[in-house]
Amino acid sequence: MKLETIVQKYHCTVYTPELFQPEKDITFGFCSDLMSDALMIMNTVRDENVLKNAVLITGLTTNQSIRTAEMLDISVVILVRGKVPANQVIELANESNIILIGTDLTMFNLSGALYAEGIKGITAKK
Amino acid sequence: MNNVAKHYEIIPFDFDHAGMMSSDIKRSLKQLGFNFDFIKRVSVACYEAEINIVIHSVGGYGDFRIVDNVVYLQFIDYGPGINDIELAMTPGYTTANEESRLNGFGAGMGLVNIKNSSDEMVIISDPNGTILKLKFFITEDSFDEH
Repeated sequence: MKLETIVQKYHCTVYTPELFQPEKDITFGFCSDLMSDALMIMNTVRDENVLKNAVLITGLTTNQSIRTAEMLDISVVILVRGKVPANQVIELANESNIILIGTDLTMFNLSGALYAEGIKGITAKK
Repeated sequence: MNNVAKHYEIIPFDFDHAGMMSSDIKRSLKQLGFNFDFIKRVSVACYEAEINIVIHSVGGYGDFRIVDNVVYLQFIDYGPGINDIELAMTPGYTTANEESRLNGFGAGMGLVNIKNSSDEMVIISDPNGTILKLKFFITEDSFDEH
């Protein structure tokens, strides 16, 4: 699914327009408000292309969402439940090359919608 | 591999700057040409350790060194120490406070993730502080094939 389609379909706000890549293909996703869990599970991914084409869906609007994505080489963070990031979070996203977008949808509804479009969930590899 | 050494202060409960060390180290590793998986292992372990000092300690510092074919990460804090290391290594066990959880941490997976990410982990702790030493061995698998 193209990033532009996600933005249009789920009425997303793009907080980092300079970084936005409309044609970016999204094939994987992970959602959590706990960055510890995101780090634990996605650290087991060995295929670079999985994380490069993944979105991190979270309700956590702090710098740590951006840092977590950065450590994992995930380039898109989607904030759910209509949360608006502070300016310093947007600045960090710009510095770290992370595309930051937001939607009013809840985490469950956005994740379900993306799943129905064929986006796969990232699971822990043993 | 050229020898590299960097030193970072880690400030307790400073969630705005938590992760700066890891971010800087990740950039260095990229410049040195390591591959995705190696960089991810070091960066994630570093970030978890950095966050541990931010959320659990009264402050400390981290050191990053590359000597010969080993990447070393060392973290030292000034307490209050880990009461029961074995218990702290149990997935899901946490003593993190509400502020840490509001910042997305305190799931009780940090040390487990650090152990899984590193090639060697040594942890020494008493009420005066904790020392965490990590090693990542540089092999031909640490670089992409050319």
